[in-house]
Amino acid sequence: MAASKTAGPATSPRALVLGGNRIPFARAGGAYAHASNQDMLTAALDGLVARYGLQGERIGEVAAGAVLKHSRDFNLTRETVLGSALSAETPAYDLQQACATGLETVVSLSNKIRLGQIDSAVAGGVDTTSDAPIAVSDRLRRALLDLSRARSVGQKVAAAAKIRPKDLAPSTPRTSEPRTGLSMGEHQALTTAQWGITREAQDEIALASHQRLAAAWEQGFFDDLVTPYRGQSRDGNLRADTSLEKLAALKPTFGLGLDTPATMTAGNSTPLTDGASTVLLGNEEWAAAHGLTPLAVVVDAEAAAVDFVHGVDGLLMAPAFAVPRLLARNGLTLADLDYVEIHEAFASTVLTTLAAWESEEFGRERLGLDGAFGTVDRARLNVHGSSLAAGHPFAATGGRIVATISKELHRRRAAEGRPVRALVSVCAAGGLGLTAILEAV
Amino acid sequence: MTDRLVELGGVPALGSVYARTVLSSGRLGVQRRLGRAPAPAAGGGAVLHVGGVRVDATRLTDYQHLVGEPASDVLPAGFVHAITFPVAMALMSSADFPLPPLGMVHLSNHVTQSRGVRVGDELDVRAWARDVRPHRSGTQVDLVAQVRVDGDVVWTGVSTYLAKGVTAREQPGGATDDEREPFVAPVPTGRWQLAANTGRRYAAVSGDRNPIHLSALAAKAFGFPRAIAHGMYTAARALADVGAARGEAYVWTVEFAKPVLLPSSPSVRVAPDGDGFAYTAWRPGSSGPHLTGRVDPLR
Repeated sequence: MAASKTAGPATSPRALVLGGNRIPFARAGGAYAHASNQDMLTAALDGLVARYGLQGERIGEVAAGAVLKHSRDFNLTRETVLGSALSAETPAYDLQQACATGLETVVSLSNKIRLGQIDSAVAGGVDTTSDAPIAVSDRLRRALLDLSRARSVGQKVAAAAKIRPKDLAPSTPRTSEPRTGLSMGEHQALTTAQWGITREAQDEIALASHQRLAAAWEQGFFDDLVTPYRGQSRDGNLRADTSLEKLAALKPTFGLGLDTPATMTAGNSTPLTDGASTVLLGNEEWAAAHGLTPLAVVVDAEAAAVDFVHGVDGLLMAPAFAVPRLLARNGLTLADLDYVEIHEAFASTVLTTLAAWESEEFGRERLGLDGAFGTVDRARLNVHGSSLAAGHPFAATGGRIVATISKELHRRRAAEGRPVRALVSVCAAGGLGLTAILEAV
Repeated sequence: MTDRLVELGGVPALGSVYARTVLSSGRLGVQRRLGRAPAPAAGGGAVLHVGGVRVDATRLTDYQHLVGEPASDVLPAGFVHAITFPVAMALMSSADFPLPPLGMVHLSNHVTQSRGVRVGDELDVRAWARDVRPHRSGTQVDLVAQVRVDGDVVWTGVSTYLAKGVTAREQPGGATDDEREPFVAPVPTGRWQLAANTGRRYAAVSGDRNPIHLSALAAKAFGFPRAIAHGMYTAARALADVGAARGEAYVWTVEFAKPVLLPSSPSVRVAPDGDGFAYTAWRPGSSGPHLTGRVDPLR
């Protein structure tokens, strides 16, 4: 029987992580202070192109985004492609889902690959707090727009007369939640207090992050994942020599107005960071045609959101809901995961998530399970360090995590010859969370 | 050519070079009018040398943003030109340079970028003059700048200048004539919006503060109705428009015809041509282009 022209392929192609490249992350105001989002994303992308020999290639699609974005960067990713060594005939689109932007580019491009719409893709993200957009005040903006529409001299004078000196102050982007007026740190301080997370536990997470990231750099793990940029060759926030004593000496910065002791410091919170990351994706055929070794399969993903506005759950707790749903759908438990990557927005974000999963009450009442969801083996958690040490250029974090853990998955599978899995979890503003399962190839 | 290597302690500041240039031009001009100065001689002279030149990443970023390049760690060939320019200017303003430096017209430029120059590279810069030769409206000379990294020549720029009205001592074969074909405007691929402050902005990142680019008033003193855009700025815009397709090794040429009076919004065409790209910028309705050139991969 002749196959129908509209029937899809017998088996869907798998979406493979083939590699990644980022620029070292720099502290805000540091080596990349004058570099724009487009500059940094181009540097990361051109590094990827050079590493995998993709000069002049037409890629299926490139998707990337930035959380803090100039309005002139409405086509940031396409402009980046045009300025890169990829073929100018490579399509691209911008995507934005707060700090989940980078991971969502991986997920949505993987879905296109799985549908057979594209055979290859580059996912990415970038953010700069050094070159952040500064807007004029709403009153000044309205007056200027009225002025531009004014026809008569009288209308022009009337429009201009509305401008007050205080309207001239620029408005800088803020990281506070529009609906609650609380910064992300203040929100997390509430969640930290709710779950009774101690200062010591947070500092231990921060210390492990620095020590593990430093060890990975020392071992050369990042040599084929990072391209130096503007004289920066390692992550600028990394403090290899930090200690519990040094971390304990820092003054708390969030939760100062609460009735419980403030425990969140600059040491156990991520700093403002500049950076960009990219991930190369493709199906088996494309990978083989380009002589590339697949590292991991993007198996599945799950997003979640919480009602933090009314205090039902903490702002950054959505992954605590997404992961149980994701694992259940795939017939997996926490014990089936060889690696658990939980983005360290704050050390306490990791700890409140783990605490929620270990709580009988949360499991029964919020997750609808028979009891606690489970316990994560700390030895499998953020094995090469995470955002506390590397820094967190918002949209670039997802790509950093996916490329890093995909390389680790492949290495582990080659060593042990058995299936190896990783969970990636990223929390985001607006009470969002995005999680994904990767499996070694 | 007699290779008399003259070591400079560092890349000279262009402000002082221009000051000396004005003085020496004035002096030579006066001496010529009085019939005392020697007529320009063709041939040899000094090779100026500055070693250990480091790239200022902030200045590079500013340059890249201004000309429309992504802020890559690889230096655009035009930025290397900007680095070498003060050394070439110092050569022009030295006492034994055969032509009066100020008011010289930049006719063309030919750059060979044989390898990418990167942030962090240590640049060894040399500059010399060669080939003083007649032109139908004066005398032209090539200023050659060469950059080495780790001993290898990575960038060579030949800037051809014209000293109007200056007659060289030796004129074998008479003045050359460079009649151009009649200009037929091509289909544009875009348009450059060049604001009145374009010259001042390029001066800030390139260091080339030639007064004809800075203000209408200063330009008038040199016979231009308004400030004119730096030729190398317009050529750099064209190079940026070619983009990453040029690769890291390429030949970038430009011939300057009509100056770009600021402000201006010339039409441009930057398009594949043969193995490389050809570009032209012109004012719609004009009888000739502002500039034409090519960017070709080096093979």
